Amino acid sequence: MILLQSSSKFLLQTLLNRVNNLEKAVELDYQWVEFGDVRYHIQVTMKNPQYLSLSVSLPIPPPETIFYGGLPVGALEAIKAAYIGIVQILDPPRDGFNLTLKLNLSKLPAQDEQRQVLLVKIASVREVVLGAPLAVVLRSLSSKTVSPNLNQLVAIVHRPKESFFVLPQAEKVTVIFPMRFKDSIDTILATSFLQELIEARRSAGLQNAPLCSWSLSPPPELKEVPAEALSANAGFVTFVIYPRHVEGKKLEKTVWSLSTFHAYASYHVKCSEGFMHSRMRRRVDSLIQALDRAKPDSEASMGTGQSKSFKGLSLKDSRTNSSS
Amino acid sequence: MDAATSRPAVVIDNGTGYSKMGFAGNIEPSFIAPTVVAVNESFLNQGRTPSKANWQAQHSAGVMADLDFYIGDEAVAKSRSSSSYNLSYPIRHGQVDNWDAMERFWQQCIFEYLRCDPEDHYFLLTESPMTAPESREYTGEIMFETFNVPGLYIAVQPVLALAAGYTTSKCEMTGVVVDVGDGATSVVPVAEGYVIGSSIKSFPLTGTDVTHFIEQLIRERGEHIPSEDSFEVARKIKETYCYTCSDIVKEYNKYDQEPAKYIKQWKGIKPKTRAPYTCDIGYERFMGPEIFFNPEIYSGDTSTPLPSVVDKCIQSAPIDTRRALYKNVVLSGGSTMLKDFNRRLQRDIKKIVDERMQATTARHGEELKVQPVEVNVVSHPIQRYAVWFGGSVLASTPEFFAACHTKADYEEYGSTICRTNPVFKGMY
Repeated sequence: MILLQSSSKFLLQTLLNRVNNLEKAVELDYQWVEFGDVRYHIQVTMKNPQYLSLSVSLPIPPPETIFYGGLPVGALEAIKAAYIGIVQILDPPRDGFNLTLKLNLSKLPAQDEQRQVLLVKIASVREVVLGAPLAVVLRSLSSKTVSPNLNQLVAIVHRPKESFFVLPQAEKVTVIFPMRFKDSIDTILATSFLQELIEARRSAGLQNAPLCSWSLSPPPELKEVPAEALSANAGFVTFVIYPRHVEGKKLEKTVWSLSTFHAYASYHVKCSEGFMHSRMRRRVDSLIQALDRAKPDSEASMGTGQSKSFKGLSLKDSRTNSSS
Repeated sequence: MDAATSRPAVVIDNGTGYSKMGFAGNIEPSFIAPTVVAVNESFLNQGRTPSKANWQAQHSAGVMADLDFYIGDEAVAKSRSSSSYNLSYPIRHGQVDNWDAMERFWQQCIFEYLRCDPEDHYFLLTESPMTAPESREYTGEIMFETFNVPGLYIAVQPVLALAAGYTTSKCEMTGVVVDVGDGATSVVPVAEGYVIGSSIKSFPLTGTDVTHFIEQLIRERGEHIPSEDSFEVARKIKETYCYTCSDIVKEYNKYDQEPAKYIKQWKGIKPKTRAPYTCDIGYERFMGPEIFFNPEIYSGDTSTPLPSVVDKCIQSAPIDTRRALYKNVVLSGGSTMLKDFNRRLQRDIKKIVDERMQATTARHGEELKVQPVEVNVVSHPIQRYAVWFGGSVLASTPEFFAACHTKADYEEYGSTICRTNPVFKGMY
């Protein structure tokens, strides 16, 4: 319904715009930030219009996650596999960023369809980099190879100084999210939203969906994790992923949905707040209408419902109004 | 301070026609989308019977209706392809008209387009100078309650348009902003960053009227343009071929002498039959923009041309600001992009000012020397989204975060704090 797309809309738009006007050299320097504190920076210079440099900075990792050279485990390999031939990883990356890619736009495939697929893939660089550790675990699950770190908890960063946990087991992978929200109202809404989510999973149509559960206290799988990484105020959500959820093309989708689960929940919380407000406004309007109807006729004839300013009242009207 | 101040602020300029949104510190907005929401109302209209069994169905229908909507270009496309979506325009004549639609619009702007977490960024929104304080309160309520923004600043559009000149020349916070948008045209004098509210003048013709006028001219000449497409074609003709001339009679003569040089061809395909057609574009190239300078050729009820409106506006401003105002007439809005618009406006204002000065000199004779008044119409290449750019410049200064209303302030004092927004002192 309101799922977040894995490709960044602005990045895709800029790339398409650039590719379609490759012969026209432009200066481009743009910075923006996405949810989960992922920053992007793109730059095109007049000198080399066919090159586009794209820098990405990741959220600050908490102490329990493992980073190699500023990137999550497996990210470098994932980038190399995804963008073979057109991307060059610059080392060291641009100051203040974790990763800088240099794209050679003239080397893109000539066919429109292939090119589109590749551009979308570049625009979803966030999925490739941040989802890399999860993708490694899930891939070994789908190929039924025994993961090297079986029964070892992996922490993966998804928000600044926050991580979620993945426990690879034989034949299944358990993913646990400690849910934290800043605002007290958000926390309450999120708690009930998550409980609804668990309820909804039990309905008949969703027999094949991953098992999920919610608890206020940390589940037993997390007993080795230091307590400061488990300070969740909206409980813990656990998903159990079986091989059937990561078959073939489903893998990418699963990785994306899991790594942005927090953003998804917070998006829903914000939306429901918005819709509650519009309901409240409608209710207030109907109550005001009821009040207007209850007024005696002499006052109602002045059009209390419509007149928004004093200008609508004549001098005589306003006098009777003040005396009443 | 908290981490939100280290991230760029989000700048959203909601105009009647188009909304511009992006992050502060950039030159261009990330997205320019029509301010329109397509809502699927087919869910709400089915079965209003208040039976118990129906309650669940109605509830989920309501939920579906809440979620099933689109904004911007997608909304326009959806309403064309399916009949179950109704377009609603949240802003009319520069004022927010439908708050439900506006809230939905913002929600999609933030989550689908900019894809940012509203809790992480300060926000800069804009409003027209005629907006009531209650509307600002409402905006603040939505921003703080629904989106939990850490800080909010509601800026006045003309002030931002002035600030857009900040980088191109010396920062001048005194000037007249001539804003010709899609839905509203206004002339707003600003002195030292404060809008002179009593002198704001509005002008009834807008960019849409130019398009209508071109459409009318083409139709009267009998060009073969399919009627369902004619407004769009007229708009494209306006954007590509129109320019402002210095004298209509001379321009007519030029066209009559060398039609081959001036008359352009428009090629199109009829949307229904797919048959190609062509039409000539002649006098409407300069006649369209002419309605700002000779409004009587288009509508019967206005006869004051735009330059006189600007002049009247400056004349009604406090006397000590007038010279500074004449010196800095700033253009903003898409319709001021018409070629040579600024030169024509400057020439016409100058003419009015000079006539007045001659009259003064004639009345007083030789003993009084009148200092000439400098008239300057400033134009810059970013006129189309000058307001957004001004916002981007302002929001990237460190003073911006201090001028914002914070979430803590809101919780302490309530939405009344949004009624006033301080003018930056650090800017000049």
